[in-house]
Amino acid sequence: MTLFFKLAWRNLFRNKRRTLLAGLMIGLGLAAMITTDAITIGTIDNMIASATRSFLGEGQVHRDGFRKTLEVELTIADGPALFEKMKNDPLIRQASPRTASFGMVTSPANVQSVMLYGIDPTYERDLSQIDDLLVSGDYLAAADEPKILIGDKLADLLEVGLGDKVVVTVAQAHTGELSQELFRVGGIFRFGSRQMDGGMAFIPLKRAQEMLKLEGGLHEIAFLFHDKLKSEDTALPLWTELSAGGNEALSWTGLVSELAMMRSMTDFSLFLVGIILFGLVSFGIVNTLFMSLYERMFEFGVMRAIGTRPRQAAQLMVMEAGGLALIAIVMGSVVALIVNGLLLHYGIDYSDAEFIVALREPIRPVLTLTQFTLYPFLLFVFTCLVGLYPAIYAARLTPAKAMKRGL
Amino acid sequence: MENVIRIDKVSKIYRTGEVTVDALKEVSLTIAKGEFSALAGPSGSGKSTLLNIVSGLDKPDGGTVELGGRAMTAMSASDLSDFRRDHIGFIFQSYNLIPVLTVEENIEYVMLLQGVPKNERRERVAKILAEVGLDGMQKRLPIHLSGGQQQRVAVARAMVAKPAIILADEPTANLDSKTGHDLLDMMEEMNAKHGVTFLFSTHDQMIMEHARRLITLRDGRIFSDEVRG
Repeated sequence: MTLFFKLAWRNLFRNKRRTLLAGLMIGLGLAAMITTDAITIGTIDNMIASATRSFLGEGQVHRDGFRKTLEVELTIADGPALFEKMKNDPLIRQASPRTASFGMVTSPANVQSVMLYGIDPTYERDLSQIDDLLVSGDYLAAADEPKILIGDKLADLLEVGLGDKVVVTVAQAHTGELSQELFRVGGIFRFGSRQMDGGMAFIPLKRAQEMLKLEGGLHEIAFLFHDKLKSEDTALPLWTELSAGGNEALSWTGLVSELAMMRSMTDFSLFLVGIILFGLVSFGIVNTLFMSLYERMFEFGVMRAIGTRPRQAAQLMVMEAGGLALIAIVMGSVVALIVNGLLLHYGIDYSDAEFIVALREPIRPVLTLTQFTLYPFLLFVFTCLVGLYPAIYAARLTPAKAMKRGL
Repeated sequence: MENVIRIDKVSKIYRTGEVTVDALKEVSLTIAKGEFSALAGPSGSGKSTLLNIVSGLDKPDGGTVELGGRAMTAMSASDLSDFRRDHIGFIFQSYNLIPVLTVEENIEYVMLLQGVPKNERRERVAKILAEVGLDGMQKRLPIHLSGGQQQRVAVARAMVAKPAIILADEPTANLDSKTGHDLLDMMEEMNAKHGVTFLFSTHDQMIMEHARRLITLRDGRIFSDEVRG
C-alpha cells in the first residue's frame, strides 16, 4: 500500500503545471462552495439580526389571539407582574413592555393610519435600535412626555418636522371610544423599511396606556436572551412558562416565520449548488486523470506485465485522485480564506435593498468549522469516487493492449 | 530436462475492420529449464505475439500454454498478474522502468508486490546491483541513467524476484553495439550462474549468434528450430 501511495504522490508531480491547474480548478469549486455558504449564513444572520435587534426582539409575549386581531382589550394576563418576573429571569438579558394599537396621526396637511406603539424608553433603549436610528431629533426622555417618534416617510407624508404638532387618535379598550391627544414630533427615525418608516409611530408607554384606557395593561413584552441561540430552542421551558395564563410566547422564528423558512430552504439550495459545482468539477477530475493515464499507458502496461494486479492499478488511480483532492483542498481553503477575509473586511452593502427586512449593516460572510472540515471531506470522497471511472478503465486494460497504445 | 514452457497448437488472429491477420498458426513449442533461446524472424512473423502469449500478456485464440506445468490460458486477469509476478521476469525494448521510482525502488517493485520483507529486499537489491555493475546507483532516478544502465536495471528487476523464466523483447534494440554486447554478456553470465531460462524475441544478429537455441518464425509458423552446441 505504501508503495502505491508513494507512486501516486510522485505521479501527481510528474506534470506539475497540470496538477496545480487541476488542483486550482477543483479548489476553486471548493472555495466557491465555502464562500456561498459563508455569505448565505451571513445574509440570513444579518436579516435575523436586523429583524430582532431593530425592534422585534428575539421573543415576544402577547395575550393569546392578540397578534391575529390586534384587539386593544387583549392585554397580557398579569402583564406588569410578568414583566417584573422576566426582568429577573436568568436567561433573559433585556425585556421591554409595550402597547400596540392602530392609530391615526393627523397633521395640518395630511392624515395617516399607523401602528402606534407605546414604549418605555428606559427598557426599550437596550432592546431595540430606535434611538440609534434617529436621523433627527431626540429619543423619548421620559415615560410620559407628550412626544412622538415617527419615521421619515411618515414625516414626509404628513409634511411635518421636528417640534411640529400632530394629533394622535386611538380607540379605547372595551368602549371603543375615540381618544385624541396632541403630541410634538420629538424625533424622526429611519429603519430602511418602507413599512416601518411610513407606518409606525412611538409614544411614551404611560401616555399610550392612558389613551387606550388599559389601566397599566400591556400588549407586548419583547425580550432578548443572553444567548441568542436559546431563542431557537423550542424545547426551552421558558416558552411554556411565559405562555401560562392565556398568554402566547413566541420566538422570532414564529414571529417572522418567513426568515426561519428561508433559512431552512437555504440548506437545500446550498445542497443543489454543491451538486452543480461538484458536477462541473468532476469533468475536470476525470479529464485530468484520463490525460495522465493515456500519457502513461505504456508504463501501465509494464506495471501490469510485471505483476501489478488490475485492482492495484485501479487503487493507484484512485490514490492519485485522492492526492489531487488533497492538493485542491489546500488550494481551495487558502482561496476561500483570502476571499472571505476580504469580504469580511469590506462587507457587501445591500443597505438600499429591502428583502424580508431591511439590511442596514453590510453582509459579511460567516465562516464555520464545518465549511473547512465537512466540505473538504466531501470533496475528497467525491473526487475519489469520480476517480473510480479512470481507475476501472485502468484495471480493465490488458497489458499487451496498453503497451501497444502507449507506443 | 524439465520443460519450463509448453505451447501446444497456439493460434492468434488479429482483426482490423474486415481484415484478419493470422499472427500465429498452430504453433507448438517447448522451452526447457536453463535454455538461452531466441525467437527470430522478420517483422510480422509473430515472434512478439508469441512472446506476449507465453507471458500471459495476451490470450491465444486457440491452443494451450503451460508455464511450469500450469495452464495459463484458463487463468483470470488477477491470477495471471500473480503468476507473472512470481514466475516471469520481463525485459522490454526500452522505457520499461517506472520513471518516478529510483533504481532501488524499481528493482524492489516486484518484491514489494510479493510481500518480501524489507531487510531481505534491501539485501537482494544490493546483491543484484553489484552483479549488474550498478553498485552505488540505488538512489538515482532512471532519467539520470544511460540507456545501457537502464536496461541493466531492467535485467536486475527481472532477475531479483527469482523467476522461472525471463522474457526479453528486443532488449538490445535501443543500445549501441558495445553496450548491447555487454548487456548480453551479463545475461549469459546470469543464465550460466543462476540457471535462469532466457527467451528472447529479436532482430539482433548478436543475440541470434549468442543464443544456444534459435527458433525462427515466418508467417506465424515455426520455420526452423536450431539447437547449438
